[in-house]
Amino acid sequence: MTALASTANVMRHAFAAGIADYRAIFTWRSWVFGWMVRVVAQVSFFGLIGLRVADDRSAFYLLIGNALAVAAQAGIFSLNMTTTERWAGTLPLLVASPTSPVIVFASRGAYLAVDGALSAVLAIFIAGPLFGLHLPWPRVLAVIPLTGLVALSAYCLGTFLAGLVFRFREINGLVVNTTYVGLMAACGVNVPLSYYPQAIEWLAHGLPLTNGLLAIREVFQGDAVGSILGHAGAEALVGAAWLTLALLTFNRLASRGRLDGSLDYGA
Amino acid sequence: MKGFLAGLKLEMRIIRSGPDALLPLFTAPLFTIIFLAIVRNGGRHDLQPDALMAPVLMTLWWFALFQGGNLITGDRWQGILEWALAAPTGFASVILGRVAAIMAFGFIGFFEVWGVGELVFGVGIPFEHPLELVLTIVATMFAMAGTAVVFAALFVLTRNAYTFTNSASFPFYVLGGVFVPIAILPGWIQPLSSVIFMSWSADLLRGSLKPEHIHDFWGRLGMVILLGAVSFAIGRAVLALVLRRMRVTGELATA
Repeated sequence: MTALASTANVMRHAFAAGIADYRAIFTWRSWVFGWMVRVVAQVSFFGLIGLRVADDRSAFYLLIGNALAVAAQAGIFSLNMTTTERWAGTLPLLVASPTSPVIVFASRGAYLAVDGALSAVLAIFIAGPLFGLHLPWPRVLAVIPLTGLVALSAYCLGTFLAGLVFRFREINGLVVNTTYVGLMAACGVNVPLSYYPQAIEWLAHGLPLTNGLLAIREVFQGDAVGSILGHAGAEALVGAAWLTLALLTFNRLASRGRLDGSLDYGA
Repeated sequence: MKGFLAGLKLEMRIIRSGPDALLPLFTAPLFTIIFLAIVRNGGRHDLQPDALMAPVLMTLWWFALFQGGNLITGDRWQGILEWALAAPTGFASVILGRVAAIMAFGFIGFFEVWGVGELVFGVGIPFEHPLELVLTIVATMFAMAGTAVVFAALFVLTRNAYTFTNSASFPFYVLGGVFVPIAILPGWIQPLSSVIFMSWSADLLRGSLKPEHIHDFWGRLGMVILLGAVSFAIGRAVLALVLRRMRVTGELATA
């Protein structure tokens, strides 16, 4: 078996293991009546704030932004992968195996990007009409791949951060939640990027969600396809950059745990 | 009282030892920035007090839901529930002490939100009705503690409390009128909201930061306390039932 085929095989099995994990956590009932109710409530919460602060337009702005934030949020959840492996007692085995741990982690948690994209799209299509958001047909279909792109890009950032917190798993939940709420604060989800100082605006363009969200807002505004594709390309580049960083750093950071024996019991 | 103090000290140590437990104290400043940015960007400076009170309530709710809700489940996983129940000190007083510690940590969020508002936007908490504000906060913490006891009891019953804890944040923020008064919600939701103590708390907290007279303050404060007391009663009854069932079936330490 070639190295490429072997890697693909590992990725396939890791992805299947991730799906099995998810099915152990959620049944379709708990996904629909638990998770999706939360997602629709989360988006509606901000939509209602928009209505209270100003008008329908403000509500739509917050609604679309926060629906996309859900896609990014689920992508960032990939950070939880290392903690899950540690609890299951499989972390040292993974690190000791000949396959690179980052390949396993990146594939095993990839279902989160799929889940995030699906949740966000459903949030737009459920909460949107509740608030009277017009879904311009067939343009609105472009929202689906763009949301997937945002989820994937956030997932790449999550995988990079997973490497950083590999040995500090007690702060795992902290990093997950502050990262995604940080994205909600900085990436043009609730206020335009121009609201913040220019340094934050520049920083935001290097984070997942920002550029993809700009593309999706343009889809709803009926802007030129070229501009939409430009923002989508920027989102893809940002995701690729975070994935490259993850590939460059993850194994090195994980191998430190092998040196000091902290994989199972480290801080 | 001894059990209460022991529980208080124990929970303080548990929270201090696990940074993840302090998570809401890290997200509260970010939510403060988000909410204040929204209202200021919309030119609604009159809603700044509302933007400040929302993260305070969200922080307390998070502590009650995640930290309080997982109290007994956590003990069970660690195999110490049998010892806690076998001890001569009343289990309820220990749990109460632990919940009080959780709420005390949650209250730090109030000062955090205040500080971030001042630091980032120059917006402080306007103490227009200080006595009413203090009384509302105390009553809210009491009711939150009651809710935490209910969650703690119910989570022991479920196989997977994770699903519920992850799902019970924003639906309650909407129903509890954390930012938007429930009067704005559709009519059919309002009866449901009115039995959630947060909807009464949130209205009173917002009202105590605005110069206008607070209509029927004592009646509404009484509702917060009443709903909190009902939560305590339900939580205690469910807990007694659950623990008795687990003792009978020998499931204290096992699922």
